[in-house]
Amino acid sequence: MASKEDILSKIKANKPDFIELPDMDFSVFDDRKPILEEFIKKVELAGGSIFEVVSIDDVLDKVSSLFPDAKQNYAALNNSEHFNTLNLENVKQAQDLERLDVLVLESDLGVAENGAVWIDDKQLPLRVLPFITKHLVFVLEKNKVVGFMHEAYQKLNLPETGFGVFISGPSKTADIEQSLVLGAHGALSLTVLLV
Amino acid sequence: MNHPKLADLFNEDEKRVDWHDKALWFVRHKRDLSVHQVQGWETLRNYGRAIKAHTLSNLDAYLEEFESNALENGVQVHWAVNAEEHNEIVHKILDEHKAKKVVKSKSMLTEECHLNPFLESKGIEVIDTDLGERIVQLAKEPPSHIVLPAIHKDRHEVDALFQEHLGTEPCDGNPQYLTNEARKHLREKFIEADAAITGVNFAIAETGEFVVCTNEGNADMGAHLAPVHIACMGVEKIIPKREHLGVFLRLLARSATGQPITTYSSHFKKPREGAKMHIVIVDNGRSEQLGRPDFRASLHCIRCGACMNTCPIYRRSGGHSYNATIPGPIGSILSPGKDLTKHSDLPFASTLCGSCSDVCPVKIDIHTQLYKWRQIITKEVKQPFVKKQSMKLMGKLFANPKQFKISGKIARFALKNLPKKIINAKPNVWGKSRDLPTGQKKSFDDWYKNRQKHGE
Repeated sequence: MASKEDILSKIKANKPDFIELPDMDFSVFDDRKPILEEFIKKVELAGGSIFEVVSIDDVLDKVSSLFPDAKQNYAALNNSEHFNTLNLENVKQAQDLERLDVLVLESDLGVAENGAVWIDDKQLPLRVLPFITKHLVFVLEKNKVVGFMHEAYQKLNLPETGFGVFISGPSKTADIEQSLVLGAHGALSLTVLLV
Repeated sequence: MNHPKLADLFNEDEKRVDWHDKALWFVRHKRDLSVHQVQGWETLRNYGRAIKAHTLSNLDAYLEEFESNALENGVQVHWAVNAEEHNEIVHKILDEHKAKKVVKSKSMLTEECHLNPFLESKGIEVIDTDLGERIVQLAKEPPSHIVLPAIHKDRHEVDALFQEHLGTEPCDGNPQYLTNEARKHLREKFIEADAAITGVNFAIAETGEFVVCTNEGNADMGAHLAPVHIACMGVEKIIPKREHLGVFLRLLARSATGQPITTYSSHFKKPREGAKMHIVIVDNGRSEQLGRPDFRASLHCIRCGACMNTCPIYRRSGGHSYNATIPGPIGSILSPGKDLTKHSDLPFASTLCGSCSDVCPVKIDIHTQLYKWRQIITKEVKQPFVKKQSMKLMGKLFANPKQFKISGKIARFALKNLPKKIINAKPNVWGKSRDLPTGQKKSFDDWYKNRQKHGE
């Protein structure tokens, strides 16, 4: 505790006179771009794929057609028992998740300016799932897409959430001579299905 | 070795320097394309700067608010005055959990504290999991860039390193193959890990949560699998409210790589069931920097690396030439605050062109601060004899119009008539890799007077 007091007292002594927080007017950022078009563009820019499906009932059919070779699947959706080949209750260790081919999650927030999709503990049966899966699929209702990050945070008033993440596209790296490679540690592909 | 000497070493391989220069300029260009698409970008930068300035003016209160919220979330909070204490705390936590294998995602703070060698000396295996960091770790080198740690290495060097350490097949430096091999190798490490260490991009006082941004997903793979997650942050990582993330996440990736956001922006608030989460809050000289009015804005930095990508010196001298944890322009205003004598060469590794300040997402006046450090360094640190004497001589010359005129004449004559060999002889460092201009007939003064007289 001595260190805490030490640090705080030094900061107190050295900090400048109080400066007010800026008054922020987020309307200055409104570029009037059509939200859904922009979202689709940015998901693709981030290396993701995006499709429209007619209804939530068509989601799993679409997923099966996109990943015909997938053996281990898990969807955190209602009525997905026939699709799920992984029983999360039997998962004891990380190795059990390693062969997960396709994970389907429902999100209720997307951001047009960067193609990011939000998920948190509410929709996540296990936090590591969207990272350890080979292919990640998000289901998102069209009217859940907002324009900018500012609006996204206005919607994210979830004090009970222990973990949440914005995901934009598949995992990627350019650490070898700046050449972009998809699939560094996380998902090799990311698909958004708009309902 | 000082910056000019290390830069000389880097410049021995001219092709490499050209590639390095162009690759970083390309990243800078991507940043431009990306930010020009953002309506109100300058306003966004102003907000970023203003939020940071406000935060620093109330930093002690925000740190306490952050701590009490984090504690309420079930996270344990530790405070470290300096690097040694930080390392001791991390080791103690690992020891309590009997952790022998640790995976780490990118954290410049742990580089600054030299955490890896410390833990290794205690018999703990530390694996850097960001691909670039893993490459430099295998090469036993420090990162040369804060966002692109292995930008100084070419694909063939990575190929050779992986063959030696990971047993890969020769592949003529195929990035796809090498990345995939690294994925397999590190997947094993993630699964075996007893603990995960991450950095922190932003810590939110209002909620006690912290945000970690990566493109690879390595921070998440580590943190969600290991039983213990230790997050290390400098005191300046605090921001007051969650809504402020809206400003900073819009600024960060666009400035860093030109992406509108990183692939993963993870918000850690509570440990997952059955796991432990620790936060180590580190000062290590930051509170002192806060007390320097001319330099405190350097603490606004969100570590995007834009100032490095744009800097004509950095691009042509390489990150290692700075011999500091944070290289480039921002490092050159941070490092002298830590050790003025050791880093006294860095503020001079700049043309003061100001490009760094122009691209900085939180509007740090980097080039002004570089200039101000120079004023302090020339007073407080012993300067080389030749530099000191020549500065004195120049001072006298500029103060005396008659002498200035005569020397100008001599110089113009010399530039016009002397052979290149003599002009570019050793004492003239300006002639090392460039030709000086040919001497003009008249001085500016002569030309101007003549023009006034004849009304040209």
